[in-house]
Amino acid sequence: METFALTEPVLLVLVSLAEQPRHGYSILKDVESLSRGRVLLSTGTLYGALQRLLGDGWIERIEEDDGPRDRRTYRLTSRGRRNLQMEVERMRHLTKVAALRIARKEA
Amino acid sequence: MVLTVYCWLLCLYPAGYRDEFGEEMMTVFRNARRDLPPALAAKISFYQREFCGLLSGALYARFDRLFGPAIPFRRFYMQPQFRFPRSTVFLMLVIFAGVVLTIRMASSVAGDQVGSVWPSLISILVFMVLTMAIAAAVVCGILHTLRRSGVHRLENVQSGRYSVESNGAR
Repeated sequence: METFALTEPVLLVLVSLAEQPRHGYSILKDVESLSRGRVLLSTGTLYGALQRLLGDGWIERIEEDDGPRDRRTYRLTSRGRRNLQMEVERMRHLTKVAALRIARKEA
Repeated sequence: MVLTVYCWLLCLYPAGYRDEFGEEMMTVFRNARRDLPPALAAKISFYQREFCGLLSGALYARFDRLFGPAIPFRRFYMQPQFRFPRSTVFLMLVIFAGVVLTIRMASSVAGDQVGSVWPSLISILVFMVLTMAIAAAVVCGILHTLRRSGVHRLENVQSGRYSVESNGAR
């Protein structure tokens, strides 16, 4: 399995887009809700992450001919979805090991 | 007033970035500002976060534009596999030149030799550049041959499972 680590804001943006395509403000609010208000993205951070994810082909913009330029929608690509699945798998393994070790220490 | 400051800060971004995301960022900022809770602390925290985020975002965007995708804080966090940054080749070259220069100067001092170290340094650098060019040509040739053989399609075969899952999920 490939190993990699995403920053928390990027991971939350990917999780937000995993369910459905979203536009910028919707991602911002969803990230806040996903993290229970702990991660509050600024627009600079959000669009920095979106630009990098677009550049790396993890997300794509849904092109609408007559859509407004200030409200564009983004969605995960199959590559982004695959990498997110791998990251979730990595975190699942980590939490499992951590829980086992904590339980062993307590026993 | 706040929107004007926001626009000024947006000007710190490279022109291409502003064209692509500027309007969207303004709209998102406007929406986020509209939905702010009335508490003063929340407003101060919001503006501080927004303006710091814009400044650091502009800095990252400028770095990206200057050094390309090879800068470490971008690639190391975003890529599932390690990539060798192109800038490392240049840095290694500079470090090697520095080491060669130091050795030559030290041997000149030890042997009381009179003369410049620059001619030998230049010849070493030329030799290194030629060697790297030949190595790059060989690697490109191998990659081209592999691409023509169709070996890269194996990657699609292995990842087909994910594509099917993702299509089903949509």
